[in-house]
Amino acid sequence: MKIRNLVHLFSMIALTVIVSCNTNQVNTSTENAIDIVAEGTPEVAEITGAPKVPKPIGDRAAKKLIVNLVTTEIEGIIADSIPYTFWTFNNTVPGSFIRVRIGDEITVNLKNDANSVLPHNIDLHAVTGPGGGAPASSSAPGKETSFTFKAINTGLYVYHCAAPPVPMHIGNGMYGLILVEPAGGLPKVDKEYYIMQGDFYTKASNIKKGLMEFDNDKAVAENPDYVLFNGKKGALLGANMIEAKVGETVRLFIGNGGPNLTSSFHVIGEIFDRVYLEGGTTISQNIQTTMIPAGGAVIVEFKCEVPGEYVLVDHSLSRAFNKGAIGKLKVTGEANPKVFNAKTMAKE
Amino acid sequence: MKYILSSILFLFLLNSCKEVKKDRSALPRNSIFNLSSVWTNQDGKDLQLKDLPNKTLVVVMIYTTCKSACPILVGKMKAIEGKFTRKIKEDIALVLVSIDPKTDTPEKLKAFAKSNGMVGEQWIFLRSTEEATQEFANVLAMKYKKISPIDFSHSNIISVFSADGKLMSQEEGNIDVNKVVENVEKVTNQ
Amino acid sequence: MKKKFDIADCFLLFILISACTQNKQHDLDREEQKIITDTLVPITAVVKMVYISGGEYKPFYGPDTVLVKVIPFVIDERAVTNQEYLAFVTKNPQWRKSAIKPLYSDSNYLKDWPTDLQLPKNAKPNAPVCNVSWFAAKAYAKTVGKRLPTLDEWEFIAMADEITANARNKKNYSDAIIDLYLQKNRQYNEVKLSKPNYWGVYNMFDLIWEWTDDFNSILSTNDSRAGQYDDKELFCAGSATSSTDILNYAAFMRFALRTSIKAHYTIGNLGFRCAKDTAIKLN
Repeated sequence: MKIRNLVHLFSMIALTVIVSCNTNQVNTSTENAIDIVAEGTPEVAEITGAPKVPKPIGDRAAKKLIVNLVTTEIEGIIADSIPYTFWTFNNTVPGSFIRVRIGDEITVNLKNDANSVLPHNIDLHAVTGPGGGAPASSSAPGKETSFTFKAINTGLYVYHCAAPPVPMHIGNGMYGLILVEPAGGLPKVDKEYYIMQGDFYTKASNIKKGLMEFDNDKAVAENPDYVLFNGKKGALLGANMIEAKVGETVRLFIGNGGPNLTSSFHVIGEIFDRVYLEGGTTISQNIQTTMIPAGGAVIVEFKCEVPGEYVLVDHSLSRAFNKGAIGKLKVTGEANPKVFNAKTMAKE
Repeated sequence: MKYILSSILFLFLLNSCKEVKKDRSALPRNSIFNLSSVWTNQDGKDLQLKDLPNKTLVVVMIYTTCKSACPILVGKMKAIEGKFTRKIKEDIALVLVSIDPKTDTPEKLKAFAKSNGMVGEQWIFLRSTEEATQEFANVLAMKYKKISPIDFSHSNIISVFSADGKLMSQEEGNIDVNKVVENVEKVTNQ
Repeated sequence: MKKKFDIADCFLLFILISACTQNKQHDLDREEQKIITDTLVPITAVVKMVYISGGEYKPFYGPDTVLVKVIPFVIDERAVTNQEYLAFVTKNPQWRKSAIKPLYSDSNYLKDWPTDLQLPKNAKPNAPVCNVSWFAAKAYAKTVGKRLPTLDEWEFIAMADEITANARNKKNYSDAIIDLYLQKNRQYNEVKLSKPNYWGVYNMFDLIWEWTDDFNSILSTNDSRAGQYDDKELFCAGSATSSTDILNYAAFMRFALRTSIKAHYTIGNLGFRCAKDTAIKLN
């Protein structure tokens, strides 16, 4: 009798331990990531422009992947109708979203467009190696370089150009995100979106009338003219709002390219059920506003309960209302008065 | 008995035939043997790069008065040489090119070779004019700069060339000796 | 039976010996191969050369306390033009687009030239020649009896603006240069369309990147974030790798370009001008 009770006790304790361990940790693989064998012939990885993300990696084994990036220097609209000289990865700010699995072997082919004036390179924070790949990928205009790295840490990482002067290359938009999923992938959600914040310092070009370009003095003083999501004022407003339905779970991959400011990211009217702190594997729950360091990232998850427009901001609010750090998530569906009820009886 | 002797002779015959296989009739357009620079080896003999032996070449650029990384590079060259089987050793030459031709006269190179135990047909030391040296360094994509009357700052690269002068592989920085040996074997057996 | 053996033995011996001598014959063939030459047919280029009196200057990379001496030299007032380069390849066929050896250039050599002796359709004869490698630039300089400027010589001149020899400490020095660097397609403009600098040299910043003789003397991994300490294993005696002028963003860009190229590269906005030693000493 006594033995049976003891067994009972032990199994209860064991169960409790296992259950409590799981709620706070993502299921990270117990394999030593460096020893994971990436199988097969290398294939070109799916990469996407913000706010879209590539398909989840799901259950697949580690693979050999090829990521092709082109660095360009182009004119784009930064706000209202104002043209700005952007430097980009794949002609977008932020650059393409890269999605891989722990243990993958990734070959980065970096080509610098022949029309570029300057050399560019890439530093991926997911890389363990000198400069994150920057010295190995230094590409003169018209030239291509290549290096291979193994993803040995899970998490959401920034990548950016590290050609000197670095604040200028980043300030002009050369950043993006790379996600390294754990074995089995992140837990399934209904919607995933890619957002990247950046601060922009502008002055009028002396050469071309109306064109704006990077202002070094303002950057050193850390006094931006714009703080934007996805490289353009209104990139997540109006017709470009991101969307979800009542009852759906939403995951946001949010990066902060900087070059200088830290973000206080908040969704007005929502609370983050889960926050992968700084894009790593520790999960915090019930967070209203999360800090994203410059050159860092975060993953937030929440379930949409009530329809409406939810405003995404950097809660250093002057940036949201005066400099453009503002976007919207539109949630459609049935009203949910249990959670939120705006109708009140007029008082007699 | 004589049958055995003659069959042994026949085998030797076949073997020597194999060595004649290398066809060097046409100079490849990306071969370093296209360079017209004239070099002097440690024995004071003048030659052009095309006159180097018809073998796989393991090449490094150093200077004899270097106190920092060059001794390590020299050590690696010796380690590389030591790792080859006798058969392959016949098909390789190790070439050390001076980036300080002013100081590194043929006599200096010979003394350096002797004191480092790098004596033998397989060891070749070369020096030329400063211009030729710079041209050669640029073919190897090697960087160097004179930072004082006796000191040079330079990149550490060991390059492997095929017998017809084509650059086949390079190892840089903290050079993995085994990797170089592997590359040489690959090139030689092609 | 004995006789047969003897004949067989002699036959085998004969074949063995001839095989050995075949080897020797091949070696002789190689020796008898022509001496490799690179004869260049000289040409005359009509370009004004400007005297630079030189002096001491603080190089962009190097210990803060060391000044580099630049001895007087003369330099072309402007870059080598399409027209001049055409004259060069006309007289020196081994440097034509179809003949150049891959050892000396990548596959984009004179990329836009439709044939060996034709300039691109809309190219201006007096625009700077681009898509030429360091080897090609050196060969050109030799044929006109000159050389490429050294990095120190080029950077020495680059310190100047229109009115002073050393304008590096002026507030807008770097910004003004960056403005010019950010413009695209400058390389298609003719030379000498803007004002010359203090020395009388044109187009240091507003036209093309330029080859220097010792561009490969920058021992930095091009990762400027490494700051003071570059990998000693990559570079022997790598002390000369920290920048002395971190706010000079324009110089950063220029050096970044130099560390990202190799001697056989050809790039659409990279050309060159020539320089020469001089015995003249003026104050």
